[in-house]
Amino acid sequence: MRLKKKHAPYVFISPFFILFFIFGAFPILFSLYLSFFRWDGMSAMRFVGIENYQFVLTDPWFWQSIFNTLSIAIMTTIPQHVFAIGFAFILHRGMVKFKEFFRTAYFLPYITAPVAVAMIFTTLFGSPFGILNATLNGLLSLPLIGNLLELLNISSPIRWLSDPNFIRPSVAALLTWRFTGWNIIIYYAGLQKISNGIYEAASIDGASTRQTFFKITLPLLRPIMFFAMLMSIIGNMQIFDEPIILLGAMGGTNRAGLTTAMYLYQTAFGWTEFGTGSAIAYVLCVFIVIASIIFNKYFRREI
Amino acid sequence: MKRKSIFSLVVMAAVIGVLLFSASASVMAQDEEVTITVGTWADESFEAAVELFNDKYPNINVELQLAAIEDHHDNLLTRLAAGGEVPDVAYLEDQYISTLAARGGFVDLSQEPYNGDQYKDKLVGYPFAQATTQDGQLVAMPTDVAPGTIFYRHDRLEELGVDIEDIKTFEDWIEVGKKFTESGENRWLIGDVANIYTMMVNGSSTDRFFNENGELVINSPRFLKAFRTAKEVRDMGLDAEISEWTNEWFTVLREGQVLMQPSGAWLGGHLKEWIAPETAGKWRVTSFPEGYDGPWGGSFAGIPKSSDNKEAAWKFIEFMATDRAVQWSNFRIADMFPTIEDLYDHEAFAEEIDFYGGQKARLVWKETILNIPAINTNQHDSFVMDMMGNALGEVLEGNKTPEEALNETETLIERRIRR
Amino acid sequence: MKKKNYAGQSSGKFMKLFKKILLYTVLLFGVLATLFPFFYMIVLATRGRSEIFSYPPPLWFGDSLAENYNSLMASLPFYKNILNSLIVSTSATVLTLFFCALGGYGFAKYEFKGKNKLFFLMLSTMMIPMLLGVIPWYIMMTEFGWLNSFKPLIIPGAANAFGIFLMTQFMEDIPDELMEAARIDGAGEFEMFYKIVLPLSLPGLGTLAILTFLGSWNNYMQALLVLESEAKYTIPVALSMLRGKVDQNWGAQMVGTAMGIAPIIGVFMLASKQFIAGITEGSIKG
Repeated sequence: MRLKKKHAPYVFISPFFILFFIFGAFPILFSLYLSFFRWDGMSAMRFVGIENYQFVLTDPWFWQSIFNTLSIAIMTTIPQHVFAIGFAFILHRGMVKFKEFFRTAYFLPYITAPVAVAMIFTTLFGSPFGILNATLNGLLSLPLIGNLLELLNISSPIRWLSDPNFIRPSVAALLTWRFTGWNIIIYYAGLQKISNGIYEAASIDGASTRQTFFKITLPLLRPIMFFAMLMSIIGNMQIFDEPIILLGAMGGTNRAGLTTAMYLYQTAFGWTEFGTGSAIAYVLCVFIVIASIIFNKYFRREI
Repeated sequence: MKRKSIFSLVVMAAVIGVLLFSASASVMAQDEEVTITVGTWADESFEAAVELFNDKYPNINVELQLAAIEDHHDNLLTRLAAGGEVPDVAYLEDQYISTLAARGGFVDLSQEPYNGDQYKDKLVGYPFAQATTQDGQLVAMPTDVAPGTIFYRHDRLEELGVDIEDIKTFEDWIEVGKKFTESGENRWLIGDVANIYTMMVNGSSTDRFFNENGELVINSPRFLKAFRTAKEVRDMGLDAEISEWTNEWFTVLREGQVLMQPSGAWLGGHLKEWIAPETAGKWRVTSFPEGYDGPWGGSFAGIPKSSDNKEAAWKFIEFMATDRAVQWSNFRIADMFPTIEDLYDHEAFAEEIDFYGGQKARLVWKETILNIPAINTNQHDSFVMDMMGNALGEVLEGNKTPEEALNETETLIERRIRR
Repeated sequence: MKKKNYAGQSSGKFMKLFKKILLYTVLLFGVLATLFPFFYMIVLATRGRSEIFSYPPPLWFGDSLAENYNSLMASLPFYKNILNSLIVSTSATVLTLFFCALGGYGFAKYEFKGKNKLFFLMLSTMMIPMLLGVIPWYIMMTEFGWLNSFKPLIIPGAANAFGIFLMTQFMEDIPDELMEAARIDGAGEFEMFYKIVLPLSLPGLGTLAILTFLGSWNNYMQALLVLESEAKYTIPVALSMLRGKVDQNWGAQMVGTAMGIAPIIGVFMLASKQFIAGITEGSIKG
């Protein structure tokens, strides 16, 4: 029996929805159900209505975790995409040799498991003896750069992972290191879709590289940028693996690196308040939707 | 008469037959190979311990499930909550025992056929209180205890011309630390100042965070003093501002850049095995100042209710908790302090230990362990511990005074646990 | 076709050279920052424990590689762990590619009732933090009897919203005329999928293949929950086991980390050459 054109798309998309309803929707709905209960995983569940939500929305630590999440997300999303678009453009336009090498090199961090990444960075960020601080020591002893750093009130050693002022930037730096390569690949794939004819026309018209980049590449890259940045925002709002391995479950000194996903995990699994943890998950979800909507509006208007 | 005797003979034969049969049945049951899984985070002396165990129980295979200490407890909780596969024997650390104990999910070892309570008189008493729930269930057996102790660098003290006998209070330690810190570059009293807080809190009360009536006692002079002392050490620049169990921490311990390190006796095992083996002979131990005697760590082993091999699991736990040879092996290899009290009178306890320059360190620890009172624990302990660590951070790194931090933390904790 | 140099044809030779040098400097600096941690990983893999903890930290290779390797092999069946990861990741990739290509095809090449709503519904599933679904998810795996098997790591993720979204993006560029022509020739709907759409979607499939393989290779939390014996561990679980060992044998950990990364770098190089670098203008324009 042949598949009719009318039915075909439903058949084609059905595996996703079937698998999703079994393995995705059930856990999600069960979590929603849980968010109206007090449950420690072992004792009987107790219905508490919206108390979990009331608690979360009036909890200062929750709001701090939202602040942490947003600031880390902003500190890493912007450099990630600026670097990625730049590098992807350079590599794509064939301005340099060894493209293959560069692309592979930049992508390596993304390949590496978070456990491994965190182990390596723990040694790099070490204080007072880590390599970054050793480098900083070297810089401080140089005449001009040293004075400049002193003017900026930077002194060695910097406690990258325990000084509350440096925790978020350090996490953001690690995330930037890890995800820039991934964005390069996404943009590179997007650039492949821009027809060479357009560039040829531009070059015949005498357009400079800079003009080509801003007038042609960026506008044509817009759908991909939208996609890549949306993915970054959604992903970064759920940052979990890297900070928890780097800083521990409470996010380090003064909870400076406690992201909302970590707080959710700590509430549910550390303190076994599964109901409250579920409520945090749903509130976080609403925040992600709001962020996506804002981004959508802003992005559509600006670019 | 004769008939009777024949009758009694038959009865006896029957009885003997039954006995023989049941004996052979139990022999058969013993011959059957069983594999139990054991979940833990510490494996330093595990191999030797299992070897000893298999000498006695050759038919019980032991499979180790190892994970980092937090992962181990988090996973255990998830599996218990989800009704999933749990190890037959689950080790629990001192700080997690009360939280996990209160939730159910573990077999009551004071009941038949385990009768774990029978060992109460032979083993150190205080951990039993921790492992017993408010309704009297014994959810785990203590397998090692951990006397809190201070490891200090004897050679550094000599350089400073200070005698350990003259250090009697926390303030004395701070004074010596000041001298040491001023004596050269990269020198500090201690690596992680949070250890000062832990030492002062662990060693000074029969309550951990709650009293016997379940009332929160963190907003009290005991905690205030601990916070203030830690803050004082930080403000005077006497700590290296590093966290324990990081590379830097290992380095300062190895290079003799810190004067002292309070911890459990078990840290000695790590020091001599891999953190700083080349510093042998330079360390000594002493008890906490001002008569503070408290535990620092210690482990328990329990049987999750859903285990299919409870009998074999109990044999394992019973062996680990009460067998003199295995307790001694664990102590010798990893400085996991034995729970069997009469081991403390063994002559080997008075041995001079090379790593501590011939000091009879075990006697110091013995004295501490016997002084530790039964400690009131509470199901919220591990949560409160997180909150207190956080409050200490706010005092050390932020602008909060110890009073503010304790007040705010008390409110936050009450808000959560009184819901 | 031959690539022209678009870098400002009006500027002089000197400017060109200067720009080239600048470009390479920027690129090389990026590579340096990216690769240094890996270099350091290998340095640590060749160092003994006390050397790693020393100050100043070691910056060049030592001679403890064999010792670290032996210590790694003594503590884990590491080659078995690598094999497990290969089995899981390969099966997950094949299954995901098929379902996502099929779903993407449905969304990209057909107009049907409720399409936009369903598409949005699918996208919105990406915004849900899956973290808390872990307990119900684990209960399900227990009920299915899937514990200590690879199924929970392969099947549930096979149809993921991200993959379908990606495939939809790629397939929208395939001209509808191609399919109309095929339909007139009497091709079935599924036949068009594998004869026309799949071959034209190779670049997109390549990207998705790499991503799926990576995601599966690095999957940690779920693997940690369902895999119970050393012989079933995948690489991240095995690595975390090593990290969990209290004696912190960094050298062995770094040897393991490097060995865990090596296969995936191989896969990436293979796939990237074939699917990403191999994209020619023609295959996209059709």
